[in-house]
Amino acid sequence: MKILIADDSKVMRQIVLRTMRQAGFGHHDFVEAVDGADALDKVAAEAPDLVLSDWNMPNKTGIELLRALRGGGNEVPFGFVTSEGSEDMRGAAQAAGAMFLIAKPFTAEHFESALSGMLS
Amino acid sequence: MTISSAPDQALVLAAIEQVWGSMLFASAEAWPAERAADFGSGVQAHIELRGDWNGRLVLTCDSDVATQIAGAMLGLGPDEELPELDVHDAVGEVLNVVGGSVKGALIGTWALGLPDVSETSEAPSRDDSFVVSWGDAPVYVQILPDAA
Repeated sequence: MKILIADDSKVMRQIVLRTMRQAGFGHHDFVEAVDGADALDKVAAEAPDLVLSDWNMPNKTGIELLRALRGGGNEVPFGFVTSEGSEDMRGAAQAAGAMFLIAKPFTAEHFESALSGMLS
Repeated sequence: MTISSAPDQALVLAAIEQVWGSMLFASAEAWPAERAADFGSGVQAHIELRGDWNGRLVLTCDSDVATQIAGAMLGLGPDEELPELDVHDAVGEVLNVVGGSVKGALIGTWALGLPDVSETSEAPSRDDSFVVSWGDAPVYVQILPDAA
């Protein structure tokens, strides 16, 4: 499977990738996007099977990205990996069509729990 | 974490302790008030909170500490080097996660900004900040409400 990691922090993209490997998902293919607008382009160009996105990004936030995808008819499985995990945000994420929201700081177990059904 | 309407030292320190422990695999402790907190030059990260309380959190640390924090985040060995841009990115992301945790504990806070990191040669006044430990080095933390 191909997984798109969208985060404006290069360091955080590396940490998400490392954590995915620790969670046992390192054999998948990974693509990176540097913000929400880049992620929208990469979804169109790369057709990933899963998007892992930060929420708070320049150019297009994660929730704007998700709404743009769903508004354009793209139903790619989508999860947030974000520094904020309030109930309001979880509700907004779910209403927009996200599968899950993993709040930073996270562990490999968080990724295993959220993704094992889909990626194992 | 206690829910309140404005960030205070206890709330921000609790968020830092959580981030230090889970992201950096280190412990953070309050720096004794009577202990000198030496500072040469380093980096300063800002992040804004918007809502019923408006202001920003500021984290200032020595360049060596910033490099160590970035290395700890990425699990690098002591001899592995990172570009300065990545060090700034890492310190900003640490403050971003601290800010997200603080925002989640505040009533009526609806927006967290993007972290901004720059170089600085001056430590904040001890009167306007509190200090936490990174190993045996100080990290200055400020909770700065917008000017009225």
